[in-house]
Amino acid sequence: MKKSLYTLLIYVLTFSFTGCIDVEEYNDDPQGNFEALWHIIDEQYCFLDYKAEEYGLDWDEVYDRYSKDIVSNMTDKDLFNVFDRMLAELRDGHVNLYTGFDVARYWDWYEDYPQNFSDSIQRIYLGKDYHIASGMKYKVLDDNVGYVYYESFSDAVGEGNLSDMLQELSICKGLIIDVRNNSGGQLTNASKIASRFTNEKILTGYICHKTGPGHSDFSEPYPVYLEPSNHLRWQKPVCVLTNRSAYSATNDFVNTMNQLDNVTIVGDKTGGGSGLPFSSELPNGWSIRFSASPMFDPQMNQLEFGIEPDVKVDMSSEDMDQGKDTIIERARQILSEKALH
Amino acid sequence: MKTYMLMLAGLFVFLSSVAGQETDSLQANRFVMRSTLLGVGRTQIVDTYLSPVEYTGIEGRFLHERMRMTRMLGGNVSTQSLLQANLAYAENDSKTGNEFAGMVNWSYGLHYHFRINDRLRILAGGLGDLNLGFIYNTRNSNNPAQAKAYINLTASAMAIYDFRIKKQPFTVRYQVNAPFLGVMFSPEYQQSYYEIFTLGNSHGVVNFTSVHNQPSLRQLLTLDIPLRRTTFRVGYVGDFQQSKVNNIRCHTYSHVFMVGFVKNFYLIKGKEKLQAKSPF
Repeated sequence: MKKSLYTLLIYVLTFSFTGCIDVEEYNDDPQGNFEALWHIIDEQYCFLDYKAEEYGLDWDEVYDRYSKDIVSNMTDKDLFNVFDRMLAELRDGHVNLYTGFDVARYWDWYEDYPQNFSDSIQRIYLGKDYHIASGMKYKVLDDNVGYVYYESFSDAVGEGNLSDMLQELSICKGLIIDVRNNSGGQLTNASKIASRFTNEKILTGYICHKTGPGHSDFSEPYPVYLEPSNHLRWQKPVCVLTNRSAYSATNDFVNTMNQLDNVTIVGDKTGGGSGLPFSSELPNGWSIRFSASPMFDPQMNQLEFGIEPDVKVDMSSEDMDQGKDTIIERARQILSEKALH
Repeated sequence: MKTYMLMLAGLFVFLSSVAGQETDSLQANRFVMRSTLLGVGRTQIVDTYLSPVEYTGIEGRFLHERMRMTRMLGGNVSTQSLLQANLAYAENDSKTGNEFAGMVNWSYGLHYHFRINDRLRILAGGLGDLNLGFIYNTRNSNNPAQAKAYINLTASAMAIYDFRIKKQPFTVRYQVNAPFLGVMFSPEYQQSYYEIFTLGNSHGVVNFTSVHNQPSLRQLLTLDIPLRRTTFRVGYVGDFQQSKVNNIRCHTYSHVFMVGFVKNFYLIKGKEKLQAKSPF
């Protein structure tokens, strides 16, 4: 018995102290923060391989180029500017660096394109007598087309809100769901709304996640399905309106709706943003957000750089001068044509 | 993995059944010790799923313990039930981020008593160890929190030493517990809880652990100070939980100073009688 006691004590004392699990620590100085940031992206960012293929991104080359700009006595703002430029190499709206004095961002995915949305013109369509259900503004347009504007997927949507809204619009011959300028929010809201437009379970895409720090360390693609809602479901034609500012969860919503037979995507290409963002931080306390988990369409196509519409329409300056939204007008035309068939 | 789960389940059933074999008897030793302690201390937290930076802060802890002699192996075996709950608040060095953490740990098991001499006893045995907790980072996006759920078989050793200062009896005790086999929940490296719980992809979230990926340790040092009919207990808890699972590194180091009370009983047919000389 004493022998087993000694064995146990030796086990406890030996094994318990042998493995100290620590993380690699970087100094809180410009070089240390640079190393930390570069390694976070190198090990955790999910689009390095894809973007290497797409536009030749070489993250090792990025290190070589930007490390030359790091000097020990640089100010926080100078350091931030280097980090801002380095992160812009990723061309990703989900990549942000948050400091007390500024936020690094990449917004070229919509700033370099036509806006294709005007809230002053939209106000003409909504008038003053529109309804609001949670975050959704809706009304019946004068040609008996239902119009819903959903500005943010962060606005919580309840099943009751959706049922009440669809009930109110049930007299309409078709429905416009306008998600232009909707920069995303909760994925669960996107699937909750989309579930009102299908009568059967359908495959809408796949999701992966990184399983390790290597650029190619990914899990097997996991199928994502849309289940039909148990509540009131829409059976008539639908147009989803998009522009370059439809991003992130909105991009996911558009992909989901794009898989449905009675749905037409109208407007401009979406902004993309198909990587579920995670957060991390640098030794100096700056917070970094980055894409961690890529999502795909049912054919395993990347959606990071957006989804092409079924009907490409830009807002024309002639229409805008007349207070008309070209994209809404095109959608009304499509719904009217479909109603006739 | 199924085999490991069955092995673990079997061992817990065995421990429970062995513990359940004791029967109330006048011949059996029925010494019982209960203690309740509260404490405050310092904690260091890293979980790379949330942040690679260590957070440090304050921790509050509750500990309730119950030890009881059994008739097993000539009355040399005791059971121990140890419940701990802690809550912590921690910040990063730059004070730009903060985390809340909490853990409930319950362990139950058996110790064999080696009576070295009148004053010193060495106890050795094993515990089943259940842990549920969380770490919440207040500024993260889709990785705001990490759930902690793991179950272990734990090796345990204890030394109890009685001594007197000016005829006043004191008891000092040191216990160390180290897990050697277990099962732990963990998301994969960059797997979101949305993917696990909303989409239902639970692949890889249940992991086998041992000393190679969970070299953890809990130790408890206490001093019992009798004062009239009450026994005060002061102590130190060193709780070092570590894991490296699914490429996620985590450690929580806590140093907590505890104070509370101890009660020693000798049970006779449901009645509790204070006993002058307890084996604990």
